[in-house]
Amino acid sequence: MPDIHHPGRRSVLAAAAAGSASLGASWLLTGCTGASAAPALPEGAKAGTPDRGGTLRIARPPASEAETLDPASALSAYEYLGALYNRLVRIGGDGDLAPDLAESWEPDAKARTWTFRIRKGVAFHDGRELTSADAAYTLRHILAKETASPQAAVLAPLIDPAKLRTPDAHTLVVPLKSPNAEFPSLLTHYNCYVIPDGSARGIGRTGIGTGPFKLESFAPAGPGRITAFKDHWAGRPVLDAIDFYSVADMSARSNALLAGQVDLLSQTNLDFATARVVAASDRATIARVENAQWYVLPMLTTEKPFTDVRVRQAMKLAYDPEHVVKVALQGAGTPGWDNPVPPSDPAHLGAHPKHDPEQARHLLKKAGQEGLTVDLYTSSYDPIFTPMALAYQDSAKRAGIRVRVKTASADSYYTQIWMKKPLMATYWYTGRPVDQLFTQVFRGGSSYNETAWSDKAFDALLDRARQETDDERRRELYGEAQTFVVEKGGAMTPMFADRLVGISRKVRGYAEHGFEFDYLGIGLKGA
Amino acid sequence: MLSFIARRVLAAVGTLVLSSVLVFLAVQALPGDVATQVLGKDATPDAVAALREKLELDQPAWERYADWIGGAVHGDFGLSLVSGKAVGGEVSMYLGNSALIALVTVLFAVTGSIVLGIVAGLYRDRWPDHLISTVSLIGMSVPEFVVATVLVLCFSVALPLFPAVVLYGPEATVGQLMPAVWLPALALAVVMAAYIVRMARTSVIDVMAGEYVTTARLKGLSTWRVVTRHALPSALLPTLHVIALNVAWLAGGVAVVENVFNYPGIGKLMLASVQNRDLPVIQAIALISALVYVVCNLAADLGAMALNPKLRTRGRTR
Repeated sequence: MPDIHHPGRRSVLAAAAAGSASLGASWLLTGCTGASAAPALPEGAKAGTPDRGGTLRIARPPASEAETLDPASALSAYEYLGALYNRLVRIGGDGDLAPDLAESWEPDAKARTWTFRIRKGVAFHDGRELTSADAAYTLRHILAKETASPQAAVLAPLIDPAKLRTPDAHTLVVPLKSPNAEFPSLLTHYNCYVIPDGSARGIGRTGIGTGPFKLESFAPAGPGRITAFKDHWAGRPVLDAIDFYSVADMSARSNALLAGQVDLLSQTNLDFATARVVAASDRATIARVENAQWYVLPMLTTEKPFTDVRVRQAMKLAYDPEHVVKVALQGAGTPGWDNPVPPSDPAHLGAHPKHDPEQARHLLKKAGQEGLTVDLYTSSYDPIFTPMALAYQDSAKRAGIRVRVKTASADSYYTQIWMKKPLMATYWYTGRPVDQLFTQVFRGGSSYNETAWSDKAFDALLDRARQETDDERRRELYGEAQTFVVEKGGAMTPMFADRLVGISRKVRGYAEHGFEFDYLGIGLKGA
Repeated sequence: MLSFIARRVLAAVGTLVLSSVLVFLAVQALPGDVATQVLGKDATPDAVAALREKLELDQPAWERYADWIGGAVHGDFGLSLVSGKAVGGEVSMYLGNSALIALVTVLFAVTGSIVLGIVAGLYRDRWPDHLISTVSLIGMSVPEFVVATVLVLCFSVALPLFPAVVLYGPEATVGQLMPAVWLPALALAVVMAAYIVRMARTSVIDVMAGEYVTTARLKGLSTWRVVTRHALPSALLPTLHVIALNVAWLAGGVAVVENVFNYPGIGKLMLASVQNRDLPVIQAIALISALVYVVCNLAADLGAMALNPKLRTRGRTR
C-alpha cells in the first residue's frame, strides 16, 4: 500500500510499552507543570519570517534498517525525499496540480498522449543538468520489475516504458495505453521523484536529486544530515542544513522536543494528552496539518453480513460522524460522512445522506439482520483507532447495532487484521489525487482495495471519468463516483483528522499538506 | 566440592539448551507472516514470495533449529533479515552500549543499596529505617518507565543537565554516550536497588542478633568495627544472590528504559527486531539474555560457596 501506513508503520515500535509510557509521561508532565485545566491547542503554526541559515533538527520514527533513499522503493526514507528531490508535478496548497520540474504539460485531444515541458537550467546535486532523459529514466525505473515500486501497480496499466519519447532535451512524451485526463496527478506521488539517468544502482545511497538540499550523510534507520543546495533552481532554502535523527518511542520523541534537543517531530500525530503538554511548554508548541489523516472503518464486502448492501448502508446511517469527531478527535477534524475524498480536494462533493438510525433499523430488518452484532477490531497502532471505535459503538447503539470492540496487537495489525477481519479501524494520509484514490482503494481487484469491493458499474464510471477531457464534466463524474461509494461501497469514513505536529517555538514557515512539506521556506527564528 | 561445581555447571548448560528450544519455538509462534513483516506493507506479492523462499520457511522447523543452534555454538547467528549484516557483529555492538548502562547501574545500585540496607538494619524500627524502607518499597512498586520519565522531566526538561534522549546511532562512541548514561542507569538502579536494600537490611538484622556479634561487642570492639569486620561479610552473602538475579533482570528490564531514552542498546534492538520479525536477531538476543541469566546465577552460587565455609566443605564431608 503505497503511501498509507507509511508513518504509522514506523511508530508502532513497542506500542504496548510505549503506549502506556507516553500516557504516563503526559500524565506526569501535566501534573508537574501544574496545568490543572487542559490548555487549548493552538490553531496553527507561528507565523512570521525565519532568519536565514541555521540547522533544523528533525526527529523521525525510524524505518527498518533496509530503508533507502531510492524514492521509487517501498522502503524509501520518506522524510528525506522532498528535500533531496523534485517531481515533475506536485500538488499545490489549493489541492490542484502545480508545476515542479515540468513547467507545463498538455494532453492530445483524447488525453491519450501527454507532453511534458521540462524546466531548463535545473541542476542535479552533482552538477549535471536535468533533461527529459532523466524524467523518462525515472518512469522506467519505477516500472522496472526489480525496483518493486508500489507505484508501478498504478502506472504499469497506463505506460509502456518502451514507448516513452524524448524528442528534445526538454520535452517528454508519454503515450498511454488508455486515455487518462488525470494522468499528471498520478505523478505527484512520492514514489515519483526524479532521479538522474542511469542512477538506479547508487541512488539509494547517494540521494542525488534536484531538490533544495543535498545529502551529506545517511544511515538507514539512523541519523543523517542534508545541507542547503545553493544552485537550486528555485533559489536556496532558508536553512543551512537539516539534521535527521531517528527516535522510535513516541514519548521519547516528545521528550526530545520538550528538552530542546530537536525542533520538529516529523510524521507523528501526537495524542491529545501529549499535544497539550507540548503546547503548554515554553520551548515547543503544536502545528496542525488540517484534515491530514483519513480515518476509515472498512467493511469487507466479501464477508457476511457485509455482503448485503443494505447492511452496509445501515452501518453507515446508524452512526453520527459528528459525534465521532467530537469524541474521538475532540473536535480537531471534519466529519467524513463516508465520503473518502477529503474536503480540501477540489473534487470533493459536499452533499451526503443524513444520520438516520431509524432508517438503519428499517434496512437491517429488511435484510433479516435485526439486532445485528459485529466485532470491530482496533489496536494501539494509532492513538485514534480505539476512541474512534468506541465512539462508533456508542453512536450505532441507537440503531440497535451491537458493536464489540476488540483490541489486536499493534505490530502485526497490518498483516493479521487489515484486509482480513470483516470490520476494523484504519487510516491513510490524505493528499492523494482523486483518480489515484479511487483507482487504488476502490476499484475492483486493485491491491489496496481494503473492502474487497468490486462493482463493474463503478469501475466503468471511473473509466469514463478519466477519459473525459472536459474538466467540468470530469469533476461531475468524480462527484458521481463519490455518491456511488457512499451509497454502495464498503468503507465507512467517519472523519478526516488534523495531524498534531510538535514543533519548537523557534520554527517559522512550517507548511505541510498531503505529502507536501515546504523545505524551501521553513527556518528558525534566532538561528 | 568439584562434583557440586560440575553438577551446577551441567544444570546451567541444560537450562541453556532448554531455553534455546523455547526461544526458537516462541519466535516461530509470533503472529504475522515473516516475509510480509520484513518487507513492509508496501511490498509486492512477488517480493514476499521470493523472500519466503530465501528464508527456507518451507523447511521443517527442527531442521531450521538444528541449523541455527549449530551456528550459534560457533558464534554464527546468521544474517539479519532486515539489514543483511551479520547478526553477531550487530548484536555485540548494541550489547556493548547496554553494558555501559548496566555497569553504571550496578555500581550505583550495589554500593548505594548496600549502604542504605546496612543503615536501615542498624537503625531498625527507628526513623532512618522507616524512611529507607518506605522509599525502597515505592521504588519497587513504580515501573521503570515512570521513574525514567520523572527523571527526564526533572533533569532534562526542567533542569537541563542531561540529554532527554540519545540522538546518536549504535555506532556512537563511549564518549558520546557517556552524558546520556546517567539517567537510564539511575532509573534502573532505583528499581533494582529496592530489592537489594531490603535483603541487605534483613541480613544485617539477622547477623547483628547473632552470638558472635554479641561476643565481639563484649570484647569491647566499636560498633563500626563490629559491622565492617564481622557483620558485613556475613550479611553480604545472601545479598549476593539478589544482586546476581537483578543483574540478570537488567538484561530484560533495560529494554523499556532504553526505549524511553532512545538509547541504542540491546533492548531497543530487541523491540525493533520483534517489530520487523527479524528472526535471527530476536533469537540471538533471547539466547544471549538466557546466557547472561544462567551465568549470573551460576556465578552467584559459586560465589556463595567461595564465601561460605559451610557450603564449601559440604561436598568433602559427604
